[in-house]
Amino acid sequence: MAAIRATSVTERGGLAVRYLFLFGWLLICVAPVVVMVMGSLKDSSLFQSIPQLFSWDGFTWANYERSFRQGNYAHFLRNSMIISFSALFVVLVVCTPMAYGITKLVSPRARNAIVFSVLATRFLPYVVLALPMYLFFARVGLTGTLVGVVLAHLAMQMPFIVWLMLGFFAGIPPEVEEAAVIDGASPFGVFWRICLPMVLPGLNAAAILAFIISYNEFLFAFFLAGYEAQPLTVGITRFVGGTDVGAQYGVVAAYGTLIILPIIVFALIVNRYIVSGLTQGAVKG
Amino acid sequence: MSSRRHFNPWAFILPGIIAGGVVLGFPVAQAFWTSLHRLRMYRLHDQVFVGLDNYVRLLQDPLFHLSVRSTIVFSIGCTVLSVIAGLAVASVMSTRGIRGTSAARFFMAFYLVPFVATQVVVGMMGRLYVWEPEYGLVNFILGLFGADGPMWLISRDTAMWATVVTNAWRLTPLAVLIFYAALATVPEELLESAEVDGAGGWRALAMIKLPLIRYHIGFVALIQLTSAFREFDTVFALTGGGPARVTNVLSLLVYNEGISNSDMGMANAISFTMLIIVAILSLVYMRFARLGEMGN
Repeated sequence: MAAIRATSVTERGGLAVRYLFLFGWLLICVAPVVVMVMGSLKDSSLFQSIPQLFSWDGFTWANYERSFRQGNYAHFLRNSMIISFSALFVVLVVCTPMAYGITKLVSPRARNAIVFSVLATRFLPYVVLALPMYLFFARVGLTGTLVGVVLAHLAMQMPFIVWLMLGFFAGIPPEVEEAAVIDGASPFGVFWRICLPMVLPGLNAAAILAFIISYNEFLFAFFLAGYEAQPLTVGITRFVGGTDVGAQYGVVAAYGTLIILPIIVFALIVNRYIVSGLTQGAVKG
Repeated sequence: MSSRRHFNPWAFILPGIIAGGVVLGFPVAQAFWTSLHRLRMYRLHDQVFVGLDNYVRLLQDPLFHLSVRSTIVFSIGCTVLSVIAGLAVASVMSTRGIRGTSAARFFMAFYLVPFVATQVVVGMMGRLYVWEPEYGLVNFILGLFGADGPMWLISRDTAMWATVVTNAWRLTPLAVLIFYAALATVPEELLESAEVDGAGGWRALAMIKLPLIRYHIGFVALIQLTSAFREFDTVFALTGGGPARVTNVLSLLVYNEGISNSDMGMANAISFTMLIIVAILSLVYMRFARLGEMGN
């Protein structure tokens, strides 16, 4: 009796402490972004301290103006969007049927071999891929084109997305498909009209994650895209001149905000899918 | 699995295997092939076979040794930090009274922010607004407690720690999510009977929950280790490898050698060495955790 009462009291008292802890972690997650956003709205030369960022002194839109005009934001945003949506499309078209096919393999040895290689390639260091692609594209004249970057993104994302979709397809009960076959559906019909609609939430999660990964990607674009094809991530590093950014606090912050804020807002809206996508394949349901 | 006769799953798999072979297999083979040659970027047609010469030069290169050391500290630091932080946050999120509430969903949505934040921007943000010695967020908070913060990214003694913390910040959301989902699979009866035996709170966590999710801890640790090992974007934007090359991890060294020095043979030798290290890491991991435990 005494023990039970003791736990309930500590649990109630502890709840406030636990909420405080969770709120503290939330602050750690968002504080750097908030500080940068505030910094983007201030005249760089007036940047003295963190509290100063939260006052009205030196409020200005000039940093955003410079990002658009000199930083060529709109052009790079267009490239980012083309790259992300093409990569997303190519990745899903290649990976979704592949994952479905793998779950349908009868031989466990063949299936394990493929699953193993998917898992193994998931850990590939990206520079191993980026350098040869750079050399190859330089030889065939694909450097500085969007096609090269999209192909690199396919390489980067394939293992992860196949792995993700494997988990979702494996969750379909076999009876559903058997019933469809008895009703006379073709193998492709089973995939297209029965299974695909059933994994639609998974497909959404894969599409959203693929989009976010491609939008944020820097290394491949940095190696492979010339000026014309470079996305926002490369655009910002070239615009602010590599490591010498000291004098441009505000402009870097404005450009950074223009890149980071849309993707964060998007992620907050679709967070349900990101959560399900990232936990799928790591935790058996 | 089913009785369908005219269905060949390979028809669905083959396009993927071909695509994977082209975009993954071909570059890897090409990386190995190039690593056996002397090849300068501005003379692409003058490729000379030199055997393992690049690897021999590599092993004697003090810069390579320095990068190997930074990469080990960086990867292990990021892994340990993000796994511990992930376990702490997920454990608190999983306690009764919080798990499953709308408050938990609200917190989880914002916990994703570091994960979806563009890495290069995270690096620049870190350099200008977080680790900046005079105005930055970290030293501002330290100042509130009367402490004088160090020079962080400028000082050779602290730059690596600031870099590790920045990247661990970015990696932690994945750990939180996976551990939170894994902790949900711990049977409630087990915890109740433990509580009756007087093992609530911390002891239940250490004795029951953590051992039950040990495979997930291992899996997350492997993901974090390999993704920290190959990290380029964050470090490049945060420190550029400096000061005095203390944060010049292997991915950055590959960039220095291949693109800046245009020594493609050497750069590919380094990156292929990285590939071998990752392969060994994953094989060691697979020995310990049975593949069947994870997904499919």
